Amino acid sequence: MDNFIEIRDVVKQYDGHLALDHVSMNVPQGCIYGLLGPNGAGKTSLIRIINRITHQDSGEVLLDGRTITDDDVAHIGYLPEERGLYKKMKVGEQIVYLARLKGMEKATAYNEMQQWLDRFDLGEWRDKKLEALSKGMQQKVQFIATVIHRPRLLIFDEPFSGFDPVNADQLKVEILRLKQEGSTVLFSTHNMESVEAICERITLINHSRVVLEGLVDEIRQQHKQGILAVELPKGEALEANDALYTILPQQPGDHETQVRLNAGVTMHDAIAWLNDHRNLCGFHEILPSMHDIFINTVKDQNHEQA
Amino acid sequence: MSKLKLIIAREYMSMVGRKSFIIMTILIPILMIACILLPIGIGYLNHEGSETENVAVIDETGRYASAIEDTDLFHFVPLSGDTVTDPHQFYTNAGESLTAMVIIPRDVDSTHQVTIYSDKTVNASLKMQINRQMSDTLTRAHVASYGVPNLQKMIDESSVDVDVKSVKWGEDGSETESSSEIAMGIGFALSFLIYMFVLMYGAMIMNGVIEEKTNRIVEVIVSSCKPFQLMMGKIIGVALVGLTQLAIWTVVMLALSMVAGSFIGLASGDIFSMGNDPAALQAALQKSGNADMTQIIQAILGVNYLQIFTCFVFYFVGGYLLYAALFAAFGSAVDQAADASQFTTPIIIIMIIALYAGMACIENPNGPMALWCSMIPFTSPIVMMIRLPYDVPFWQLALSIFLLFATAAATVWIASRIYRTGILLYGKKTSYKDIFRWLRH
Repeated sequence: MDNFIEIRDVVKQYDGHLALDHVSMNVPQGCIYGLLGPNGAGKTSLIRIINRITHQDSGEVLLDGRTITDDDVAHIGYLPEERGLYKKMKVGEQIVYLARLKGMEKATAYNEMQQWLDRFDLGEWRDKKLEALSKGMQQKVQFIATVIHRPRLLIFDEPFSGFDPVNADQLKVEILRLKQEGSTVLFSTHNMESVEAICERITLINHSRVVLEGLVDEIRQQHKQGILAVELPKGEALEANDALYTILPQQPGDHETQVRLNAGVTMHDAIAWLNDHRNLCGFHEILPSMHDIFINTVKDQNHEQA
Repeated sequence: MSKLKLIIAREYMSMVGRKSFIIMTILIPILMIACILLPIGIGYLNHEGSETENVAVIDETGRYASAIEDTDLFHFVPLSGDTVTDPHQFYTNAGESLTAMVIIPRDVDSTHQVTIYSDKTVNASLKMQINRQMSDTLTRAHVASYGVPNLQKMIDESSVDVDVKSVKWGEDGSETESSSEIAMGIGFALSFLIYMFVLMYGAMIMNGVIEEKTNRIVEVIVSSCKPFQLMMGKIIGVALVGLTQLAIWTVVMLALSMVAGSFIGLASGDIFSMGNDPAALQAALQKSGNADMTQIIQAILGVNYLQIFTCFVFYFVGGYLLYAALFAAFGSAVDQAADASQFTTPIIIIMIIALYAGMACIENPNGPMALWCSMIPFTSPIVMMIRLPYDVPFWQLALSIFLLFATAAATVWIASRIYRTGILLYGKKTSYKDIFRWLRH
């Protein structure tokens, strides 16, 4: 896979505060990429630089292997975290205006607008002012305005915040459809469930620096802590085995028992022993959630800095 | 279509389509007319509604009471000083039927003093009437006392009112009747127009910027175009809205003056077309037979319109750009309109100073203050427009316009730097210090 977006050693400073400290990141073509980090880590600064809203002090941003220019904004669709549209402008006019600012022809923009509104069941609202729409509908309008010009790169800053579950699901479907059609998607979020659900790769930024980068599956593998979930017939309890594992505290209602394997013990050894000694109903390895990885990494790093 | 044009078009359509634009376009001329008509109407009502009041005049000399004439408001009742012994008693007895009482004392010829008595505060217009009529009467009595036959008649006949006519020589020695008052009046009206325009539409720009910022749409827009394009699009779009409004008013005014023109026996269309043909104009004016009107129209035609309107366009554009850019920059620095006053107050103070400087320059249009204020870009649009009829040297005019445009360009540049930082910052109260820091980025 070629890198669609390449960030090389980008530094950005505001008023003596370092927002991005030699940040590098590669987003492959056609990938759904997560940009993670706590508030104030520098995600928005990086996104604004890719969007050509602000400029880096040093370093490079490449798109398709060449330095990004102002004309490339036509290939980018951006949904900022703080949503906003003209409240007094009609829905249809507004979408067409934003599409034309991205370089679309008027007639094409109008046709696309019509199709998108129909897809989101907003057709009858076309000539209404935006302020007449509910918040959820306004968010959909904003989504349409972000993707109408078929951008090759979609940047979503916290896309699921403010959506109810039904709309969030529709949004997810649309994003996956856009990926199918060849768009590259960059997510900035701290909603870890959505990261696990749809992101293939992530970069974690903390205190203006990249602290973790890679494929979601690989990262979870790398951070696994040898935890095994064991299911035994009802009423049977797992006995302790100091040579192999420690039993983790059980949550009420769990029908599984979680154990942490001792250092040096492989998954295979543990399962072989359990299978020989107990009437195993089921077992599976527990991978750490992105949520835990995120929190642990950020905590460790903050601890190191302190 | 370029992005700038798209932004201008949106700004223009979104404002012209609003109800407030239509209402303001209709309301402002009505308000202006009301401002002119109101004092007349009030004066009329003042006289119309009130009944004639009775004022007793007790003349101890017995010579002057009959000379005081009644007016619309007052009926004077002459009484001899012998019949009324106790004026206060008399006044009280008369009750409502008598408003006031004037007493002309026996020694009025030497003291020149009369007194008005009333149980209410004496009305200013009654005081004025008595002052005027008694002064007149006593002056005449004085003149008569010299015993020279026909002296009063000689004085009346020898009174002269000099009519000052001003004529302007062209370079070839041709004469045009000119009136610097009218030229200055036009200059003042136009500079006032600049002032109004800048304040009204400047505020509109600022509110537009704040609206985009609080709506948070600005981040979406600047991910499609440069902040400079958005700022200039707004400034130009709003200017076009204002020009549309001016154009509507001009058309309405021309139409009205046509109607008015037909009342004074001359269609205004004729005047404009005859401006190039003095003979025809002269003939037409003779025919209309209205001497005062002829003079005024000649003076109006003597004004150098080409110069005034060329300069108006320059000062209008330059002054608008200069102030509009400041309003845009300050709008970007705040989160809500209420916070903007710390930035707008200095602008408004500067503009008010400019207006007062302009008025002061009417007294001394070539003095040092007029010279300096017509050079400083923040005041020059207003002050120079007023100085124009007084033959400002060309180099001064050129320098003033150059300085204005250079400053406007610099201000737009500075404003765009403030703007691009300001629009993306939220929740922080911006100080002048912050703004200077943004400039250095």
